[in-house]
Amino acid sequence: MTTLPLMSIIVFAPIVGSVLIALLGRDPRVPRLIALAASTVCLAAAAYAYATYDRVAGGLQFVESAPWIPSLGVRYIVGADGLSLPMLLLTGMVMFTGVLASWNVTSRPREFFALLLLLVTGVFGVFAAIDAFALFFFYEMAVLPMYLLIAIWGSTRKDYSAMKLTLFLFAGSAAILIAICLVFFQVGAGTFDMRVWAEHGFGADFQRWVFLLSFVGFGALVPIWPLHTWSPDGHVAAPTAVSMMHAGVLLKLGAYGIIRFGVTLFPDGFASWATLIAVIGAINVLYGALCALNQTDLKYVIGYSSVSHMGYVLLGLATLNRFGFEGAVFQMFAHGIMTALFFVLVGYVYEKAHTRQIAEISGLMRRTPLVAAAFVIASAASMGMPSTSGFVAELLVYIGLWSLSPLLAGLVFVGVVITAGYLLRMLTRILLGEPSEAVAHLSDPAPVRLVPVGILAITIMVVGIFPSSMYETIRSATGPLLARVMGG
Amino acid sequence: MISPADTLIHLLPEVIVAITGAVVIVADLVWKRPDHVRPGPRPWLAYLGIAGLAAAAVVTVAMAGRSAELFEGLVIIDPLTTFFRLLFLGIAAVVLLVAVDPLPRFTRWDAEFHALVLWCTLGHMLLASAGELFTIFLALQLTSLPLIVLIGYAKRDKRSGEAALKYLLLVLVSTAVLLYGMSFIYGSLGTSTVAEIGDLLAGMTTVEPVLALGLVLLLTGFAFKITAAPFHYWVPDVYQGAPTPVTAFMSVGSKFAGFALALRIIITGLHLPLNWHVIFGVMAALSMTIGNLGAIKQTDIKRLLAYSGIAQAGFLLIGIAALSESGVAALLFYTVAYGLANLAAFAAIIAFAQSTGSTALADYAGLGRRAPLTAFVLTVALLSLAGLPLMAGFVAKFHVFLQATQAGLVWLVAIGVANSVVSLYYYLRIVWQIYVAEGESAPLALPWRSGVAMGVCISGVLILGVYPEPMLTAAAHAASALFGK
Repeated sequence: MTTLPLMSIIVFAPIVGSVLIALLGRDPRVPRLIALAASTVCLAAAAYAYATYDRVAGGLQFVESAPWIPSLGVRYIVGADGLSLPMLLLTGMVMFTGVLASWNVTSRPREFFALLLLLVTGVFGVFAAIDAFALFFFYEMAVLPMYLLIAIWGSTRKDYSAMKLTLFLFAGSAAILIAICLVFFQVGAGTFDMRVWAEHGFGADFQRWVFLLSFVGFGALVPIWPLHTWSPDGHVAAPTAVSMMHAGVLLKLGAYGIIRFGVTLFPDGFASWATLIAVIGAINVLYGALCALNQTDLKYVIGYSSVSHMGYVLLGLATLNRFGFEGAVFQMFAHGIMTALFFVLVGYVYEKAHTRQIAEISGLMRRTPLVAAAFVIASAASMGMPSTSGFVAELLVYIGLWSLSPLLAGLVFVGVVITAGYLLRMLTRILLGEPSEAVAHLSDPAPVRLVPVGILAITIMVVGIFPSSMYETIRSATGPLLARVMGG
Repeated sequence: MISPADTLIHLLPEVIVAITGAVVIVADLVWKRPDHVRPGPRPWLAYLGIAGLAAAAVVTVAMAGRSAELFEGLVIIDPLTTFFRLLFLGIAAVVLLVAVDPLPRFTRWDAEFHALVLWCTLGHMLLASAGELFTIFLALQLTSLPLIVLIGYAKRDKRSGEAALKYLLLVLVSTAVLLYGMSFIYGSLGTSTVAEIGDLLAGMTTVEPVLALGLVLLLTGFAFKITAAPFHYWVPDVYQGAPTPVTAFMSVGSKFAGFALALRIIITGLHLPLNWHVIFGVMAALSMTIGNLGAIKQTDIKRLLAYSGIAQAGFLLIGIAALSESGVAALLFYTVAYGLANLAAFAAIIAFAQSTGSTALADYAGLGRRAPLTAFVLTVALLSLAGLPLMAGFVAKFHVFLQATQAGLVWLVAIGVANSVVSLYYYLRIVWQIYVAEGESAPLALPWRSGVAMGVCISGVLILGVYPEPMLTAAAHAASALFGK
C-alpha cells in the first residue's frame, strides 16, 4: 500500500490553495490558476485512492491518525472506505469542473476562489473524517463560505436564499451536535473515534431517538421533505460552481452523514424508522417531481429534480436489502455528476442569454449543438435511461423496492413518469424549434468551457456502461453495513 | 502563618498595577501639557500603563506555581487566581492600546482615563482572589466606582452621561441587594469566609428561609455584574452610551470579574440541598434567548454587541450550570475565546468609528472593500462569537455543550444550540453589510494601534480555534483549584 498521506492531501490541498490565493491573488488571473492546481491535486489524489483501494479487503483504508485535542479526547483521524471513496471522487470531479466552469468569474475572483476552496475543504473533511468531532468541525466549516458565495455572487433573491440555506444547514448541525454529545457520554470511552463508537452496543431506545435526531440533522441537508425548501431556492440563487457544489455534493453530505453516523452507529434505531424513511423518500420523489413539472426557470427545474432524486437515496436505504443499499449509494454518485452537468450547462446558457426562463429559450440545438447534446445526456441520466449512471442507480433501488413492496415500487414509478414528463417538456422547449431572441447570438463555448461538460458527460456514460468498478467499491461498504443492520 | 513579606510578594501583581496607575497620574503632572495646546493622543502614557501590566503579568507567571491563603483566607491565591489575573491584565492592555487614538475625541484628561482602567483592573484581580464576603464587597466597589466615571467620560455627550447615571443607580441597587444578602448570611451562619460558609451549608439538610433569601440576594448581585437575564435591562443603554473603549472594557473585564467571583462562591460555598443545575440552567437559557432575540433587530453595532454579550453570558452560565470541574474548565476556556473575539470586534469598531464617527450598522456597508483587513478581523471575530470552526468560539461552545450533556442538561444544550442558530442570523447580517451591501468605496485609513490589537486578538482566536490544547490544559488546571479541596 501507499505511504502517501492521501486523505490529508485531499483535505488540506484546498485550504493551502485558499491561503495562497489570499496571499498571492492580487492579479485577477492568479486565483483561478491556484484553484485549478489545488483541485487537480485533490482529484488526482482521490482518483488514486479510488483506484488503489482494496475492494476485496474492504473496510477503512488510507487511515491516518494523530492527536489533536487530547484533553477533549479528539484525534485527527481520516480514512476512506467504499462509502466515502465514491463521494471523495465525486467531490474531486465536481470541484475540478466547477473551477473550470467559473473560469470567467470577474467580480472579486480572489475572494470567490478562496471561499470556494474553503468550502471544498469542509466537504472533503466530512467525507474523510472518522473522528466525530473532526466530522462536525469540517461540516460547520462549510457554513460561512456557503453563505458568502451565494450572497455575493448569486442571483435571484440571493440574500434571502443565502440566509435561509445557511440557517437550515446550521440548524441541522445543531441537532447533530446534540447527538454527538449524547453518544460521547453514552459510550464513555473518552473518544470521538466512530470506529470505537460502532463497537458499542447502544440500547434500543437510545438508538431509536438518537438516530432520529441525526436523521433530522443530516436530513435537513439531503434535503428530506418537509425540510427541503431551502434547497431549490439555494440552488437557483447560487453562482454556477456553487450550485454544482451544492446540488452535486452538499446534498450527498446529508445522505452520507445519515449512513456514516446514523445507520452505522444505530442500526436498530435505523431499522425501526425504515417505514418513516420510505414514506419520506416517496414523498420526496413524487413531490419534487411534481414541483419540477410546474417550474418556468431552468434552475428551479433542476433544483426540484434534486429533491426528487435524493428521494431515491432514502428509498434505497429504507428497503433494508442489498440492492436498495447499493442503489442508494450509487444514486448519490450518479446524481452528483448529472446535476453538476446540468448546472454547468444552465450556467453557460444563463451567462450568455441572460435568462433562464424556459419560455424565452428555444432552438439551442441549432445554435449550440454540443451544449444541447450534453443536455440530452444529463436528462437521460436523470430519467434513468440505460447506458447512463442514473440507470444503474435507479434500477438497483427499484429491485430493492420491488422485493420490499411492489405497491410502493409502483407508486414511486409514477415519479419516473413525471420525471420523464418534466425533462422531455424542458428539452423540447429549449432544444428544438427556431432559436429565440435570447439565444440568437449563442454559439458553443470555447474549449476550456467544454472541458467540464465533457468530463461530466463522459463520466455519466462510462459509469453507466461499465458500472462494475463503482459497484464493487460501493458493495464493499454496503455489504458489512447491511449485515450490521440485519444482524442487530 | 504567612509572613508580611511573603504576603506582599503574593500580592505583587496587584501592587504593581496599583502603583502603575499612580505613576501614570504623576507622570502626567510632571510632563504637564500647556492648557492652550490642542490635546492630541499621548501614546506614551498608555505605553507606560501597558508596561506596568506586562510587568504584573510576568510576576504572575513567575509565581504561577504558588498557592496561598492570605490574611487568614480573605484572599486566596491559587491557579484560578492566576488564570484570571492574566486574563484581566491582557484585557486591560488591549483596552489601553485601542483607547489611545479615540481618547482625544472626547476628553483631554487621558492620564486619569488610563489610571482608572488600571485601578478597575486591580478590582477585577482582587475579585478573582477574594475568599470572604466583605473583601468581595470592597473589591466590587473598587471595580464599580472607576467604571461609573469611565462610562461618563465623554462628558459633552449626553448619552455618555445618561449611561453613567444609569450605571450609578444600578451599582447602588445591586450593591444594596448584595450587602443585604451578605448580612443575612453572616447573621445566620456567623462567618463570612466563603470556605467556612461552604462547610456549614454542606452539613445542612434544610435551609432556613432567611439564609436562602440571603443566598438568593447574593446571587442577584452577581447576576447584575455578569449581565445575566433577567438582570440585564441596564446593559444595552449603558453599553451604547459609554465611550466605545469603555464598552469594550466592560463587556469582557467587568463580566468576567463577575464570573470569577461567582465561581468561587458557587463552587466553594453553595453546598445546599437545592437543584442549582436547574437554577443556573434557567438563568442561562433566559440570558441566551433574551439576548439573542434582542440582538436581531438592532441597528447599532454597539447595542447589538450588548445584546450578544447578554446571550454570551448565558452560554458561559451553562458552564456553571454543569457544576462540574470540567464544566468550570469549559467556562474558563470560553472566557478566553469570548474575550479575544469580543476585543477584536471592538478594536475594529473603535477603528471604524475613528475614521467615520459612526457605530450604525448601515455604515458598515462596503467595509470589505474600504478596509479589507479590518473587515476580515471583524468577520472572523463575529463568527467566532457565533461558534463557527477554525475559530476559538467553536471549541468553546462545543466544550460547554459537551460538559452540560455530561451533567444531564440535554434540555439546556438543546436551547443552547437553537440559540446558536439565532445568533448566526444576526452575526451574518453584519457580515452581509461588510461584504455584500453596496456602500461608500473610499478606502479608510485606520489607526495602526487598533491594528496591532486586532492582529493580536484575532491571531489568538484562530490559534485557539485550531490548536486549543494548551489553553484547555491551562483552563482545566485552573478549574481543578476549585475542586481540589
